[in-house]
Amino acid sequence: MNANKATTLNTKSVGALLKDWMSLVGIAILIVVFSIISYAKFGAQYFLTWSNWKNILLQSSTVAIVALGQSIMLLTGNFDLSLGRMVCLTSCVGATLMVNHNMAPGLAIIIMFVIGLVVGAVNGLMVAYVGVPAMIATLGTQYICYGLAKLITQAVPIPNMPESIMFLGRGYLFNTIPFCVILMLAVYIIAQFVTSKTRVGRNLYAVGGSREAAFFSGINVKGYQFGTFLLGSVLATFGGLVLMSRLNSVAVTNGQNYEFDAVIGSIIGGVSLAGGKGRVIGTMFGCIFLNTLFNGFSQMGVDPFVQDVLKGIVLVLAVTLDVASNKKKS
Amino acid sequence: MDNYILTLKNITKEFPGVKALDDVTINIERGTIHGLVGENGAGKSTLIKVLAGIYQPNAGEVILDGKSCRFQSPIEARRAGISVVHQEIKLAEPLTVAENMFLGNLMMKGKLVDWAGMRRRAQEIVDELGMDIDVNAQVSSLTVARKQVVEIMHAINNNSRVLVMDEPSAVLTDRELEVMFRIVKQLREKGITIIYISHRLDEVFDLCDNVSILRDGKHINTLPIGEVDRKGLITMMVGREMGQEYPKVAATPGDTILEVKNLNCGILRDISFSVRAGEVFGISGLVGAGRTELARAVLGIDHIESGEVYVRGKRVHYHTFSDAIRDGLGLIPEDRKLQGLVQIMSVERNTTLVNLRRVIKGGVIRKSLEHSLSEEYAKKLHVVTPSMDTEVQYLSGGNQQKVVIAKWLFQESEILFLDEPTRGIDVGAKAEIYRLINRLVEEGKTVIMISSEMPEILGMCDRIMVMHEGHKMGELDAAEATQEKIMALCT
Repeated sequence: MNANKATTLNTKSVGALLKDWMSLVGIAILIVVFSIISYAKFGAQYFLTWSNWKNILLQSSTVAIVALGQSIMLLTGNFDLSLGRMVCLTSCVGATLMVNHNMAPGLAIIIMFVIGLVVGAVNGLMVAYVGVPAMIATLGTQYICYGLAKLITQAVPIPNMPESIMFLGRGYLFNTIPFCVILMLAVYIIAQFVTSKTRVGRNLYAVGGSREAAFFSGINVKGYQFGTFLLGSVLATFGGLVLMSRLNSVAVTNGQNYEFDAVIGSIIGGVSLAGGKGRVIGTMFGCIFLNTLFNGFSQMGVDPFVQDVLKGIVLVLAVTLDVASNKKKS
Repeated sequence: MDNYILTLKNITKEFPGVKALDDVTINIERGTIHGLVGENGAGKSTLIKVLAGIYQPNAGEVILDGKSCRFQSPIEARRAGISVVHQEIKLAEPLTVAENMFLGNLMMKGKLVDWAGMRRRAQEIVDELGMDIDVNAQVSSLTVARKQVVEIMHAINNNSRVLVMDEPSAVLTDRELEVMFRIVKQLREKGITIIYISHRLDEVFDLCDNVSILRDGKHINTLPIGEVDRKGLITMMVGREMGQEYPKVAATPGDTILEVKNLNCGILRDISFSVRAGEVFGISGLVGAGRTELARAVLGIDHIESGEVYVRGKRVHYHTFSDAIRDGLGLIPEDRKLQGLVQIMSVERNTTLVNLRRVIKGGVIRKSLEHSLSEEYAKKLHVVTPSMDTEVQYLSGGNQQKVVIAKWLFQESEILFLDEPTRGIDVGAKAEIYRLINRLVEEGKTVIMISSEMPEILGMCDRIMVMHEGHKMGELDAAEATQEKIMALCT
């Protein structure tokens, strides 16, 4: 009986393929729908233009960089609620040092990464080695990061970042492709390669699939978990750096809700909440999907307050699909 | 007709692409213990689920006490008096014994819950069964065996007329089994009919009045237990002559490959033993004797307090399990599902998990190499799977165990600890596992087998070490070992 059941699941069904690439299919549908609406409403194409798409990709890039860390943590069965505020804390520290104290940007950036790594290490120690539930541990550090950021900046925005970091968020390659989009692509291509083609990647999936079985296969389960928290913090800091450059200012609202957007992007991208399944590259498409959706709605003149409601609906739909498809199999 | 409390009549249950039950008709006599045997996939579980209202059959009917029933849900079945004690224990762990016994069936005093009354009634049931269980104890604090008793009490408390027990013995030690048997027989005296599913045929012979055999979804036979012998039963289950149950081959042991001297760790006290290359070394004892702990200590999973471990004559200090793995040691853990395999990973990926290096060239996993190499091992071990990409969760227990063994063969381990290697595996697959153990030995590997199943230890090992409460009680040669001698040592 078991063998037969497996046969039917063996060849990937259209449904499974669709789920795997849900985000890409979603983006394609959005493109078709919004370009038609654009014609119908304005009599001209405003949606499917390079300048609009440049915008969508620009906006996606920072959150996608942060989301990469989140999706790798989801793969191993963890998640990190402090990522968004880590973006905030590190960029607040960086901006204070660079702008208010005229520190050399290079040194300030090093300090940013050190602070990010400390937060990541605290999260990792608590979750992997002490066994504090990830939700509680990272909720705590989320508040700590936010509080510290407000203390440091007194919640006053810091404008005018140094010229030397401008290329990160505002630079263009060949005067056409935004540099930060290249950065996003680069980190995702590397991550996709590592997770799918190397031993480290395979072990991450094993840890996410079953911590116990991974342990009894000689995998350093705690070490891998700890590592993902460090990686998440590095990517959050990097995302923060790109964001402060792109916005040319830092405020305590920088990175707000990034951790949740990252979860939504990951799940739409096909990374399972249960861990051990999905492709990290999907997360990038998931983030682009979200930004395409909101870009389209803004063009259509949908009330921005409605957009939060829609984001919630998208999340619930994506998770429902994820849970339902996992259930069907067991 | 009146003689039968339950009749399953022409039951057919189809799933997409497979007939799990094919026109099965079984009569069950009132007040008997009725055994249900068959290999994995024979349809036992499906039949139980039909009976319990979890599945609705495509055809046929369930006749309870002369009345045709169509249970749409487990609750309906339970109301009609059919309770199932599942293999996996399903209790609310943080609640007390009494609370669990009345789960879904609270006693009320007017509008309020009658806790005092429930505790009293719970105590009565406990006393009736002659058990020594505190009804106010939290279920999570009980041993597995006692939890199972609580499940049974929960069923009795539901005024069940038919109690289905799905492999209750899989996790019990021999002594706990005796208690379980006593309880089951007591229930029969009280007029409760019991359907007893087990892979351990000894139990079926000890306990059951009648036995039904299923094979490939079909009912093969139902007969009084006195009319069949062990061999006949196995033949009916597997559909062919089985040959020897324990196909032990004579080993030609080489030099001492593993030696443990005066090891202390946790409950383990002053354990010394040595194993020679190419040997099957058995570790026997009751659950809790420290057998798994011993394996863990030797393999660097738990830290040794004092004592020495020598591998190939060299003193070793393993700090982590992976140190031991690198040195050619391996462990097939007792919990196959949770510890042995990543259930949501494919057969292929589970096989290569420990020694991925073999399929990595230039830092990159070579997919085709991984596929062909792992397939080689799957073939060698006769793993039955639709494809190498099938997730192991869809394989039967026996096939899953073969994948675990494949994993360690792939790692090319020389010294393998097998912790309860055949737990919950059916007769046919068991024999295959034993033959695999033989092959390991023939290839010069060393096997250290931990098992609670006495016949298996006696049938497969060259030497047997008996443990009790963390101490080594003695060592026996295969030639001189008997069940009685082992029992005398381990209690």
